[in-house]
Amino acid sequence: MTKIVMTVDDAATMRKMVGFTLRGGGYDVLEACDGNDALAQLAQRRVDLVITDVNMPGMNGIDLVRHLRALPHLRTTPILLLTTESDAEAKNRARQAGATGWIVKPFVPGQLLAAVARVVQSPVAPVA
Amino acid sequence: MHASRQLCTFHVADLYLGIDVLSVQEILRARELARIPLAPDTIEGLLNLRGQIVTAIDLRRRLGFPRRSADAESMFMIVRTVDGQVALVVDAVGDVLDSAADTFEPPPDTVPDAVRRLIGGVHKLPDRLLHVLDCEQATALAA
Amino acid sequence: MNADLQQQFVQDMLTESFEGLDRYDRAILALERNEADAETLNNIFRVVHTLKGTAGCLGFQHIQRVTHAGENLLDLLRAGERRVAPPIISALLRLSDALRALLQHLAAAGTDDAPLDTAPLIAELNRLGAEPAPESAAGSASLPSTEPVAPVEIASPAAPPPVDADAGWGLFDPAPAAEAPPVAAAGTPSAPPPAAKPGPAPSAPAPSAAALAATATVRVDVALLDRLMNLVGELVLSRNQLMQLASGRQVRPEAVAELSQRLNLVTTELQEGVMKTRMQPIGNVWSKFPRIVRDIARELGKEVELETVGATTELDRTIIEAIRDPLTHVIRNSIDHGVELPAVRVAAGKRPAGRIVMRAYHEGGQVNIEIGDDGAGINLARVRQKAVERNLLGPAELAALSDREALQLVFLPGFSTAEKITNVSGRGVGMDVVKTNIEKIGGSVDLQSAPGQGTALKIKIPLTLAIVPALIVRVGTERFAIPQVSLLELVRHESSGGRSACEYVYGAPVFRLRGQLLPLVFLDEQLRSRPAGAPPRVDLNIVVLQADQRSFGLVVDDVLDTEEIVVKPLGKHLKSLPMFAGATIMGDGKIALILDVFGLAQHARVLVDNSDRPRAATAAADAAAAGPRRQLLLFSLPGRERLALPLEQASRLEEIPADRIEHSGARELVQYRGRIMPLVRLDRHLSGEPPVPGSAEPLQVIVCQHGDRTVGLVVGRIRDIFEEAYELQPGSAAPGLLGSAIVQGRITDFVDAPAILRAAGFDAALAA
Repeated sequence: MTKIVMTVDDAATMRKMVGFTLRGGGYDVLEACDGNDALAQLAQRRVDLVITDVNMPGMNGIDLVRHLRALPHLRTTPILLLTTESDAEAKNRARQAGATGWIVKPFVPGQLLAAVARVVQSPVAPVA
Repeated sequence: MHASRQLCTFHVADLYLGIDVLSVQEILRARELARIPLAPDTIEGLLNLRGQIVTAIDLRRRLGFPRRSADAESMFMIVRTVDGQVALVVDAVGDVLDSAADTFEPPPDTVPDAVRRLIGGVHKLPDRLLHVLDCEQATALAA
Repeated sequence: MNADLQQQFVQDMLTESFEGLDRYDRAILALERNEADAETLNNIFRVVHTLKGTAGCLGFQHIQRVTHAGENLLDLLRAGERRVAPPIISALLRLSDALRALLQHLAAAGTDDAPLDTAPLIAELNRLGAEPAPESAAGSASLPSTEPVAPVEIASPAAPPPVDADAGWGLFDPAPAAEAPPVAAAGTPSAPPPAAKPGPAPSAPAPSAAALAATATVRVDVALLDRLMNLVGELVLSRNQLMQLASGRQVRPEAVAELSQRLNLVTTELQEGVMKTRMQPIGNVWSKFPRIVRDIARELGKEVELETVGATTELDRTIIEAIRDPLTHVIRNSIDHGVELPAVRVAAGKRPAGRIVMRAYHEGGQVNIEIGDDGAGINLARVRQKAVERNLLGPAELAALSDREALQLVFLPGFSTAEKITNVSGRGVGMDVVKTNIEKIGGSVDLQSAPGQGTALKIKIPLTLAIVPALIVRVGTERFAIPQVSLLELVRHESSGGRSACEYVYGAPVFRLRGQLLPLVFLDEQLRSRPAGAPPRVDLNIVVLQADQRSFGLVVDDVLDTEEIVVKPLGKHLKSLPMFAGATIMGDGKIALILDVFGLAQHARVLVDNSDRPRAATAAADAAAAGPRRQLLLFSLPGRERLALPLEQASRLEEIPADRIEHSGARELVQYRGRIMPLVRLDRHLSGEPPVPGSAEPLQVIVCQHGDRTVGLVVGRIRDIFEEAYELQPGSAAPGLLGSAIVQGRITDFVDAPAILRAAGFDAALAA
């Protein structure tokens, strides 16, 4: 079954480029323009992966991760943060919020797909 | 009837006329008009009024008088109507007068039909009659 | 990624980035005024952050380097680790300028490899991030030419190029049990796999000159689009109904009327809706003004506040483009010549900062734009003086001018009251250009001023515009505009030998154009402006027009240019004139009427259907005919009503006075165009009878070419020229006749012109 990835970014061009890359890799893609949009779309459905930007108006990516993790059906869904920040502090915050990993912007398509493949195909521990 | 109001007066041939000053947008010295072939006789032409194209109606013809001679002076009165601005071509423009309701009467029988159709009434002034122009009638499609 | 997609992403990035930079500029100015909150700082950061990410993914390293430096500084700012100070504001504004320049280069050339040295800017941004901003006040006004700082800044974390050890991705170790539940991926340590350079992401180099400028697209309200879709749906329904009606055997007039009304309504709404998509808020033009105002004010040592009201007021796109420059100019003028220096203002009891208010609103079907300042007003004495200096007015006229009229002098070309010319607004003139540009789009300009108090400019522009390309022609002294959509071609025929190319068929003037006969309409005749007794035209200027699928040639005195004109409707008094579609104001301010080609054609009766042409029969004949449609010449002879000849066999149609016939033996000849042309009496040839003694009537002659010889066929009456497909029945052939066919629904004999000419003895051997 085709895997579904949601990409969250307030920058339309970036969203489109991520979406394009992922579709090229054989994934179905849902797009959300900010945290609230993502939560609204994911309220009633699952996806196989969420990729979100960190710097967004309203809700930032870190907070979005926390909110996503609070939804029972998304507790174990992989979440990657797209970020240009490379310092340990930011990564730490992301990890504490429950993110699975990160991808540095600007990304190479190959890297993006590699990271996605890595997290999407890993066996998921069933939620108790 | 109407309360006192101010009338902008003007002359067409030997008629002395007035129009509610609130209907008058501006008064210009006559200037070049674009002629319109095959237009009705009462249409003098088109005027470029600061970028707006305004139709100019010759009140002389409208009131049944013969055309003014080529070298005669004239003035344009730009009036506001429901359909937009119209330029009335008149022979000369006079002063603005206060009109009193008590001197307003229906036009007497001596007024020719062509004129009667276009005026709402007259004011009897000491020395002459002031014919009050019905702007909408004057700028309506000529018969 | 293929080249097209790359191009699409680049285009999107450009649109997004220019918009972002506009927001960025506004936010920086707010920051400078200490009116920025945390959210504003975040927004500023995000603009640069987003651009860096997108540009990086598309391989634009120059942009990436510049944004990287900016992003670091902005990150520090928003985290509160640096305080806002003038050098930082200046550097951030320079960042915006540099990015715009890079993006514009990208839009034009397809790469960000612009000849722009951004190293000093990058260094400055890094320096500002590396240490707290200096407290200096006086020095802050001048844009920094920073003394070279210790190399420590180069090594700061902000500096390294994007290809760094952290590129790539990574997964976290599973979080400690106390926090989020075990995350899926077993931990790959953060050390990422070796990163490939981000550069090769695009597979092909950015297409050269392919990216379009940001203004080539519009944003349309989705609700409006939905409405348009609905209307299109209605239009389709109506079309289907119409097609049903058309194919039906009986058509009820009520059904037609109803459908027609529906169609009318839908079309009007659709038209309005589409025009609405072109409406953009005037704020799009205004968005750059705060920056412009700040820069000019700075440069001139003045303080100016700009207030805008009504930025959401919408105008048609073309109007927005047309007023962009005039508005900019007025603002510049205001700051340059209107607003006084702070010291002067204070001395006059005003606040040191001048105020410019821009206001836009809809009223009465027009857009009103007002620009006012509280400056010194226009110096009328200087204006009058200048007018005299420039010989625009004589002293007597000058004295007669009221103040209000004197103010209008400012709009005269070449007028300038600037004491000195600054390089900001040029000569301080251009008000005439502003006025002309506004009037060109159908608007009006009004200027008011009060000495010591300020100046206000009011612009009114009609909400909807129709601008069409048109051909301008001249008849007599008048110019007329012909919408280009009806124009097929232009023909100029210079006569040779003093004879006009205009021929007459059945009394109607025609012109032979590439073998086809084109009905001619003389514009001066139609307008009844042809001076009596004017000599007939010899040279012809023909504008070939199309109306209702038929073409005709309009003869004019002169063909001038093609221009884009603004169509203005004629008032109610003139709407009923069928030949005019409207009027327009030409570049010199004069009015030209716009011709309605269909109305003109009807008026000239070139669309008139021949009443003895049964349409149904023709259609049936067409359907049944085997041959292609050909142009036929229909004529008659005494005793023969209907004869036809393929038009291509005739070269001209002439009417020749009887007394011009000369004789040579048994032959009749006539001098024709400098040559001798023999005549053949067709009736004689067909019937074999001797010619009737010549009457005094002029002869109707069909001039034919036979070999290299010209021959005139004398016929009775030329009746018609038309195009029809027909099938020749050879059974009725006779000497001189090819046969007959049903043409125009009636039996018509076809003349065999070559045979007749041969029979008459006209072969190549015959001496002239």
